[in-house]
Amino acid sequence: MGSFEVSGLSKTYPPGDPVLSEVSFRYEGAGAIGYLGPNGAGKTTTLKLLVGLLRPTAGHAYLNGVDPTVDRKRALWDAGALIETPEPYPTLNVHEALDAVGRARGLSRDGVDAEVDRCHALLDLPPLGHRIGWLSKGQRQRVSLAAALMGDPSVLLLDEPTSGLDPAERVLVRGLLNRLKRDHLILMSSHQMLEVTEVCDELIFLDHGQVLLRDRVDRVARRIRPRQVDVEFDRALPASSMGMLKPVAEEVSAISERRWRITFDGSDESRVRLLGLCQGLAPVVQFANTSLVLEEAYLELVPRAPEAT
Amino acid sequence: MDPEVTVSNGAYSPTVHRERVSDFQQWLIVTVHQLQHYLRTNRFYGLVGFVVLIAALTLAFEVDAGVAAVRLQQLYRSSEYLSNYLVNTGLFVVLAAAFFGGDALSVDFSTGAGYYMLVLPIRRPVLLAGRYAAAALVTLAVIGVYYVFGAAGAIYFFGTASVPWASLLGSLGVAIIFALAALSVAFCVSAFVRSPTAGVLITVLALYVGFTTLQATLELAGIEPWFSLSYAGGAMAALLDTDFVHFQTVPLGEDQYYTIWSATVAEGLAIMAGYIAVFLPLSVYLYQRKESTG
Repeated sequence: MGSFEVSGLSKTYPPGDPVLSEVSFRYEGAGAIGYLGPNGAGKTTTLKLLVGLLRPTAGHAYLNGVDPTVDRKRALWDAGALIETPEPYPTLNVHEALDAVGRARGLSRDGVDAEVDRCHALLDLPPLGHRIGWLSKGQRQRVSLAAALMGDPSVLLLDEPTSGLDPAERVLVRGLLNRLKRDHLILMSSHQMLEVTEVCDELIFLDHGQVLLRDRVDRVARRIRPRQVDVEFDRALPASSMGMLKPVAEEVSAISERRWRITFDGSDESRVRLLGLCQGLAPVVQFANTSLVLEEAYLELVPRAPEAT
Repeated sequence: MDPEVTVSNGAYSPTVHRERVSDFQQWLIVTVHQLQHYLRTNRFYGLVGFVVLIAALTLAFEVDAGVAAVRLQQLYRSSEYLSNYLVNTGLFVVLAAAFFGGDALSVDFSTGAGYYMLVLPIRRPVLLAGRYAAAALVTLAVIGVYYVFGAAGAIYFFGTASVPWASLLGSLGVAIIFALAALSVAFCVSAFVRSPTAGVLITVLALYVGFTTLQATLELAGIEPWFSLSYAGGAMAALLDTDFVHFQTVPLGEDQYYTIWSATVAEGLAIMAGYIAVFLPLSVYLYQRKESTG
């Protein structure tokens, strides 16, 4: 059973403020944990500390119970990692790049071939004879993801795994992660809230190197009340008719002749009333939140984020 | 906040069988992986091309001069011919060491290569040893080409029977140890700097320009440059020099002398071994301590 743990983990790049301050969490078993926070929050630093690419200023990181700064071979034996933008040698072809990874993880020659075929099918890899240097960014990212999966390690540490992928590739990877999390332990940093919503069971919100919130995704979803909905009617409506929504709506703005964005207090009661009022104006074709629940949670926890973007 | 969470979607049962891999097996895997890379780089073909060009031009000029002239110039001894020919070997060894070792480790911290290799369950000294072995093998290939041209020249001008094969092989052995010493320095530089280009440049400047200049300056002062790796490299040619002298004093004027020192084979080997003993462990230490902060 895979596990990862950080205990009082701190990291400072001298001279400067700490990038991570006494972060602690431990997970064991199978599931996907979303690691969220703005740029510079310390997400990638945590992942690097877990695989021993960095040494902690204080505290410890353990991968499958082993401190990677003490015994990196044992710590990483049953873990796959995709951190930053890995670059296999551009002179090698896809099979050669994956062969070294598989062999280093203890696969036989036949085992490597079987694993390459499995990853090829899972990730729609580019032709195995193509050199890494010829591949697109998305193809290289999928090869790097395949490298993390080679040998089927029980723990996966993924730093923005869908970065650089096109929408179809993202759907592919999300589907894969959803299958993997059934029997693998995944720690995944991401800025893609849709991805986190669809894949993760648990969330860790990080900002300024400190954990702001740790909870199950469904519990966070229950707590957060999106305050904005987009309503689409089956016909164009005049702006004056929107006055009917005033008892509930705090603000109404037109997106198009048929679509309107309405801000309200976010409560379930107001939502029900608002829907009723809208249906009183004209048949409603669509009534949906403008943002994902996790985006709302993110913005609530990290108010600087909109300025940063 | 509960620091421990057990998530249990399902039990993990690996889909593939994996065997424990020894450090030695991983060393072989890394060596092959690195060799596959080196043998397809432009720098490998460029360096081999450069060596072939220099060696072929040398041979062509000698052929043009004629067999009789070359024999006379080399005192009718193929060993003398080879000794003079191999004087340039040091330059090629230094270039190869810089090209293949100067960025062998810094590449992990300046490009994404480290995020591919350093997250694997391989100890860093094993990674370093694999890359070191691969760099040594391609350096040997480069030097080997130069030696092949030398042997071909010796056979052409003096006949197969007169070529001192044992000494020539001995010289190649010394060249390999010299390459290992130069690679140790290159790896150390590479573990220290972050930029791959800087690693290559610093290695060339230190091993060739720096040591050669220092050596000449010390010789002017009458001091034996026993600590210089380029001085030690002279042992490659010394092994074939039948008239070898450890030092020669050349008069420069009234009461002024210039001493030219040449390393004996034993001295050269001792200096090279010293460089390997100091710089290789130092590279391992620096590489193990280095963090991926980029």
